[in-house]
Amino acid sequence: MRRRRATAVAAVLALGAALAIVAAASATVNRAASPQVVASADTAQISCGKTRTFGLLAPITGPAASLGKLQVDWVRYYVAGYNRTHKKGKLRIQMGDTVLGGPGGTAEAVKAVQSFGGNVLGVVGPAGSNEVRATTASLKNAGFAFVSGSATNTELTTDGTRTGFFFRTVPPDSAQSTSVANFISKKLKFKRVYIIDDQEAYSTGLADAVQAKLRSAGVSVSRDGVSQQQSDFSSLIAKIPRDTQLVYIPWQLPPKGKAFGEQMRSAGKGNIVLMGSDGLFADDFASLNGVYASSFPTSGKHPIVRAFKKSHGGDAEFFGAPSYVAAQVVGGAIERACKDGKATRGEVRAQVRRTNLKKTVLGLNVRYNAQGDIAGGQFGIWKSNGTTFTPVG
Amino acid sequence: MNWGLFWDLTVSGVTLGSVYALIALGYSMVYGILKLLNFAHGDVYMIGAFVGYFALQGLGGALHPSAAAWIVVTLMFIAGMLGGGMLGVVIERFAYRPLRNAPRIAPLISALGVSFFLQNSALLLFGASFRDYGTFDLIGAKTYHFGNVYLSVPQVLTIVSSLALMVVLTVLVARTRIGKAMRATSFDREAASMMGIDVDRVIASTFFIGSALAGAAGVMFGLVFGQIYHFMGFLAGLKGFTAAVIGGIGSIPGAMLGGLLVGLAESYATGYLPQGSTFQNLYVFALLILIILIRPSGILGKADVKKV
Amino acid sequence: MADEPGASPMDAPDQPRIGVDEWVASVEGKREGYEGLTGRLQRMWDTLPVGGRLLVFAVPAAIFPLVTTEGNVFRYGLITLIYALLALGLNVVVGFAGLLDLGYIAFFGFGAYMYGILASGHSGHHWPAEFAIPVVILAGAALGLLLGLPSRRLLGDYLAIVTLFFGQAFVVFVNNANRINFPFVGHVDLTGGANGLDNIDPLDLFGWKVTSTREYYFFTLGAFVLVMMLLYFVNESRTGRAWRALREDPLAAEVMSMPVNRLKLLAFVFGAATAAFAGTIYGAVQTGAFPGDFDVGLLITIYAIVILGGAGSLAGIVVGAIVVNGVPELLRDPNQAEWVFYVAVAVVLFARLRPWPRLAGVVAGTIGLGFALHAIADAAWPRLTDGKSGGEGALAHAVESWVLLPSRPTQIANFAFVILIGALLALTLLKDVWRTVALVPTVYLAVFVWENLLIQQTAGATRFILLGALLVVLMNARPQGLFGTARVEIV
Repeated sequence: MRRRRATAVAAVLALGAALAIVAAASATVNRAASPQVVASADTAQISCGKTRTFGLLAPITGPAASLGKLQVDWVRYYVAGYNRTHKKGKLRIQMGDTVLGGPGGTAEAVKAVQSFGGNVLGVVGPAGSNEVRATTASLKNAGFAFVSGSATNTELTTDGTRTGFFFRTVPPDSAQSTSVANFISKKLKFKRVYIIDDQEAYSTGLADAVQAKLRSAGVSVSRDGVSQQQSDFSSLIAKIPRDTQLVYIPWQLPPKGKAFGEQMRSAGKGNIVLMGSDGLFADDFASLNGVYASSFPTSGKHPIVRAFKKSHGGDAEFFGAPSYVAAQVVGGAIERACKDGKATRGEVRAQVRRTNLKKTVLGLNVRYNAQGDIAGGQFGIWKSNGTTFTPVG
Repeated sequence: MNWGLFWDLTVSGVTLGSVYALIALGYSMVYGILKLLNFAHGDVYMIGAFVGYFALQGLGGALHPSAAAWIVVTLMFIAGMLGGGMLGVVIERFAYRPLRNAPRIAPLISALGVSFFLQNSALLLFGASFRDYGTFDLIGAKTYHFGNVYLSVPQVLTIVSSLALMVVLTVLVARTRIGKAMRATSFDREAASMMGIDVDRVIASTFFIGSALAGAAGVMFGLVFGQIYHFMGFLAGLKGFTAAVIGGIGSIPGAMLGGLLVGLAESYATGYLPQGSTFQNLYVFALLILIILIRPSGILGKADVKKV
Repeated sequence: MADEPGASPMDAPDQPRIGVDEWVASVEGKREGYEGLTGRLQRMWDTLPVGGRLLVFAVPAAIFPLVTTEGNVFRYGLITLIYALLALGLNVVVGFAGLLDLGYIAFFGFGAYMYGILASGHSGHHWPAEFAIPVVILAGAALGLLLGLPSRRLLGDYLAIVTLFFGQAFVVFVNNANRINFPFVGHVDLTGGANGLDNIDPLDLFGWKVTSTREYYFFTLGAFVLVMMLLYFVNESRTGRAWRALREDPLAAEVMSMPVNRLKLLAFVFGAATAAFAGTIYGAVQTGAFPGDFDVGLLITIYAIVILGGAGSLAGIVVGAIVVNGVPELLRDPNQAEWVFYVAVAVVLFARLRPWPRLAGVVAGTIGLGFALHAIADAAWPRLTDGKSGGEGALAHAVESWVLLPSRPTQIANFAFVILIGALLALTLLKDVWRTVALVPTVYLAVFVWENLLIQQTAGATRFILLGALLVVLMNARPQGLFGTARVEIV
């Protein structure tokens, strides 16, 4: 008995001693980290030839595969259309499965980046904000421009680590949270709001931002979270006070949003207004009559959206639409960089920065500011009529 | 005390608990007889849910069912149970039986392989999208209430049918020949085989029954919570396993009790504790550890006395 | 007895070997050890001294990054090494001491986060690695001790559950630690919450800034060899033998007056320290630590490595890590996957089919069947041959004139996939001639399914389907793992 205690005491003492030594040492040798250096991959000439390749980073398998499918569908749709009109210089996709949320973690995304051949000129993706963070070093080292259609975390562009490399085709959380908070506090004039995040980076970031903005507007906010893998919300719903005016769920899986709404109704709380974020802007969630969602100001009447719906069994798969625009950005940049038959990844990056797309499927004109966000990008609020969303603000 | 909240939480806990209990039963029965943690069990449950879904589609879908709703639901249950059960037998025959006398950990990895295989095959064959049972269209969104207690039709259906299944199972194990053989095999496999019991057949039937229950649980889940997808087996399997251990792994009534306890604990934790739904899994596991510390072999489990 | 084939490479022949019945093992050895090419390889392996065995891995591993691209070094080399290092630690707990620890990945995550707190743009500290690494390892060991203390009386599945809880608790904690108010210090954003800790510094070891993938690879290789040697010596020591006794029979070990509790704690501490070290490297490589990276999925992967290689065997870990990480990576590129598939089919046929005429018959039969079916379909239902292979390159084009490729394959291919699984399972039940005969259409069906269905998803579901199937097959073929000792329970 005494021996065991002796071991424990020894271990704790050793740890304490080590900590003390190191703490003392660190005061003098707190070396600063040096920024990553961009390698020569940046300036390597890549022959454009008949086919030009870009990489697509998306969760093709794993728990988020249902989202990856939408992005892949839209990007494929863009490439098919592009190749019909550009017989001389076709585009080719190199798939990179990031297995978002799978066993390999974010290393899987880095592996996908590393699997891209030397002929890859630019990258669409990655999908998740943490995947962007994890892959930044390797994407920068390879000199890629990477254009995400779904990574909305505000700091990705504002922290300065990936300026000039990272671009996105969705406005950041800061824009979305402003639109949402204004709509709730000024348009609807609600005073009691319940926010539930889904424990993923996208969701908690957005929920935090909306919560802060609502509170400063004098709205009383309760906050809760539920795992994205959960499907039973009944006990959570039971906890929501009956006098709550609005439940805000910034989630990314529309079927889960639908399940939540249905369970609210069967619990007799269907009178509380339900509002989702752009992640829930999909037909699944729209099947709940009267729910709100925020989204880029797209329109189901856009000719490309209509054509896409026609070839995909009537589903617009809106979540993937920004990836279509991302492919448009990368594809256009590659085309311009390839005018002389050759291109470097650095040239493609410069061309991405100079993107100027009018009237995209997102309903936004895409031009980039210095940070890599869409200049003047904003969100609209939509309301469902039971089948589709119509804009209300 | 807010009794409305209490009853809401209780109903949702019991509903979820019934689903967990059915999954836990499969875990527990297999463990009782083979001392094997069948990691693929959660995926059998997932396949059961999909079989139920396709049965529904085959019968015309939720919007235009080709028969009365109760017939359709019964057929879905039968399809899900048969599908799950047969899958279980195939898995046992090809992934576990050759490993019967191997080190205890080898079948665990084999089970893991089966789990990878089933999950990704479902992804490949059925696609990545969520599938919607469309329960409201099939059964209607009617809610019964008795005073403060609100019950929806799928909830009643789940609780009643899982109770029925448990009663059937209990009778099966306690009264029939095969039940007797199962008890004998789980008590001492070698002695049972010396007594002329066909151990292979008994184990195959155990897998069939356990997996059929998982299949039924999958269909129930689809009916109550609407959506099914290829990855749904993972979390459910984990919860079912927890329930089996809480109740005392290897014990059939223990699995039922454990399932209910886990369901209720989840529900009450979400409703009453601070940050309840965020930390839900932690609270459930904390309960588990508390129970293990008080009763190291689960609530109804028998203490494993080893004679040397 | 010197070249006892059933013995683990770690058991020296003159020492008492626990849990191995000499006679049974030797019979088993005669049966499976000395035949053909594998037998010869096994004999060579057994006669190699320990240093030689290490070189067999270390030399190719050191040459590998010099002959391939940076991308391959990361995908096949670095990640495999990190997994192998992790598996080394888990092997101490599971393989040596026989404790089912399901919270192991938490220590890995702890290492990554702890290093991130000590050296990153997020926290503002920038400790050099020569200080940070020892601190992380010591803190990891202390955490291992903490988890070990309440678990020391639990065994088997109950220990598994308690540690599983610990792992889950860790993930939930790091996911929410940015919102927690700590006593005394107040609100500190320790882990970055769901966003993770990013901007982690590259390792900075005595002024050597590790930046490129190759440098990380060599650093990790060095670390791996060091830890492996350390663990080898520990395993050969008194403690190692005591662990093995504990693994085989805790009760008997206690009766022999071994300090069972202290041994368990020690195993936990060793495992935790190794995992924390691996986590440090991982955090630096990924330049970030994210909550989702340290979940049950990775734990299962590492378990697969340890058990596939043979629990308790250090050599097995390397092979296990190569298989579990390498197979899905090989299949990622469709062009490469095409070759892998056909080569694998050929190798399996060549290795398993004897005698030669039978093999020739199957190959010729399959090829003949393919051309015959293709010709018939071409004449009768041209739609069945209109499609294109999902693969790229010369091989795929060659295949297009042999295998049926319907223009709308989805439905047919889905059914064919299910039938193929059934056919493969049925094949294991057939005997002799019937098996050979049935092999011909099965192989063709496999090619059909591959070309029409699986190849489109090689970057996705297919590689995990194949990994799953491989795990089942390998376990069936060698339940004790590739390098494990065949153990016989004596009742």
